[in-house]
Amino acid sequence: MFKILKSSVSAFVLCGVLMGGAFAGEVKSIAILTPEEGTDYGWNQQGIDAAKAAGKAAGVEVVVAQGLGYGDVRPTLRELASDGASLLIAHASGYNTSAPEIAKELKVPVAIVDTPNGLEKGLVADYTLSGHEGAYLAGRLAAKVSRSKSVGIVVSGEPPSWNSQSAAFAQGVKAENPDVKITYAVIGPAAYSDAAGGKRVTESVIASGADIIFGQGNGSSFGMLQAVETTKAADGGKVYFIDVIGDKSPIDKGFLLSSVVWNIEPVYAAMIADLKADTFGTKHYSIGLKDDSVQLLKTAAIPDKVWGEIQALREDIISGKIKVEPVFDAAAVRALMTSVAQ
Amino acid sequence: MTGLFSEVFLSALLFGAVTAAIPLLLAGLGEQMSEKAGVLNIGIEGMMLAGAYLGFVGAFYSGSLWLGFLTGAAGGMAVALIMALLCVRIGLNQIVIGIALTLGLEGLTALLHHFQFSRSYPRLPAADATVIPLLSDIPVIGPAFFKHHLIVYLAVALVFAMGYLYRRTQLGLNLQAAGDKPAALDVAGIDVIRTRTIAVLSTGALAGLGGAYLANVGAGLFIPFITNGAGFLGIVLAMLARGRPVWVLFGALLFGVCLSLTTAMQVAGINIPTDVIQMLPFLAVMIMLVLFGRRASLPAALGIPYERGAR
Repeated sequence: MFKILKSSVSAFVLCGVLMGGAFAGEVKSIAILTPEEGTDYGWNQQGIDAAKAAGKAAGVEVVVAQGLGYGDVRPTLRELASDGASLLIAHASGYNTSAPEIAKELKVPVAIVDTPNGLEKGLVADYTLSGHEGAYLAGRLAAKVSRSKSVGIVVSGEPPSWNSQSAAFAQGVKAENPDVKITYAVIGPAAYSDAAGGKRVTESVIASGADIIFGQGNGSSFGMLQAVETTKAADGGKVYFIDVIGDKSPIDKGFLLSSVVWNIEPVYAAMIADLKADTFGTKHYSIGLKDDSVQLLKTAAIPDKVWGEIQALREDIISGKIKVEPVFDAAAVRALMTSVAQ
Repeated sequence: MTGLFSEVFLSALLFGAVTAAIPLLLAGLGEQMSEKAGVLNIGIEGMMLAGAYLGFVGAFYSGSLWLGFLTGAAGGMAVALIMALLCVRIGLNQIVIGIALTLGLEGLTALLHHFQFSRSYPRLPAADATVIPLLSDIPVIGPAFFKHHLIVYLAVALVFAMGYLYRRTQLGLNLQAAGDKPAALDVAGIDVIRTRTIAVLSTGALAGLGGAYLANVGAGLFIPFITNGAGFLGIVLAMLARGRPVWVLFGALLFGVCLSLTTAMQVAGINIPTDVIQMLPFLAVMIMLVLFGRRASLPAALGIPYERGAR
């Protein structure tokens, strides 16, 4: 009797351990939370589209909670966790305090941005991405096509991802032509949806002489685009806009020069794979030119000859001939901008 | 560094300051009227959002900015009607209803934008400017202050019209009494509820107009959350202004100038943390509060629903 009981208990414990492992690696659904609608031709849209694509490829259901704003998303995180999501992707730097809290409270894995030091095995992964290689190419492009030899960088905040792109853009401009002026302006501390502020600041930067604007701004980037469309450069000609993360070609009125386009799908696919392999929260994710997860958008406004030169530079970055290091720290970016401002 | 500060650049900075100030001015004037009558209107941000959305819709589909301003004012007034019904007529908590209206309008306008504009992001052409002869020729100042859309001059004129209203008219006195001693106004045979309702509806119209200006002229488009807290700044300005419309104008312009100053400092490449630079407008408002707000006296019955015969 004791022998049977002992065998039963052993079998039960073994079964529990094995089942536990199976449950830990099981991913049925993932959820992504975004501050704005997934139709912004930028950060939010790229995130949602990538999550859907990664989910589809992995056979995982994807729940989208969009337009949540920049406030407290704890109730939404709890609701999604209680609905059984195996992973909560908190797709905004404003969520990187609340999401880890919910992860610890409910034991649900979360992915956050702009917190490289926040990794916790099995619970918290960070995907502070940077399109700095693409931004460097955008800087080279801007310096090549600028008529006034003056370009502007307008940002609606200073999260690490954007800092690295601002810095790389400036480095690209200076590498192409050290005489080109660079003007750097931040709309506000977190003015992501401040379209009026985006327009106002961009108009001022254009008035300072810039005829190319490199804009990073979520919703406020539409204000930047509006400023570019309605303001003449100092020579009376067009001002061009270089966007980031998404592709605004469908709504372009002929002022979009290019965009540093991100594809986040490989990152989310890697996260799902890590969840299944129990390695979630143990490593950083990145995007780059090499696998085309970062691309510079070709538009009709870019002359073929210039595009050819840009493609050659792209190959140089991929081969390691040109090294572009990301600069995530805001203070370092400001110091760089001060040193290159003329 | 000095080369950057050309006449064109300085004019653009000051022009931007005026553009940023007008929505705050209109929201602040509206809030001031509401507070004078004893209604603390926390929902002004929501009224601005409604005005921004409907103002943009009106201007976009009609091609007329003026029709956009009209629909924007009507939108703000429609939200104010809810506030008037719930807070003035029924007597519910003004702060709770104000917050609920703001949150509700944030969601509603974002939803409407999603269905209507989120794939096309339409943008309006640049607003036509009314050029004031001679004055507009003054270097730097001229293009900055005297080449704006006509609504800007009307908004400034409204400041003086409201000053006249409060000091020289019976309605102005009634509004003041509705906020300070509503029972006395009632005894004098004036309907307190009606007076407060007029104030709240006027507030909605002004806030809606401010939102419409923000969307149609300030940004040239509508996106969710576009007001970015402008309504709350309007409340601060109204409280600082101590019932005087001209102080709302000064406060709004100060805020706008400080915003432009932050841009100027950055464009000049001054290496101090951007967060510090960006604090400047808010710091200016806080200094104003300390210097001028100490003697500020709010209406005695502010935020208190009026009920005839209640003690």
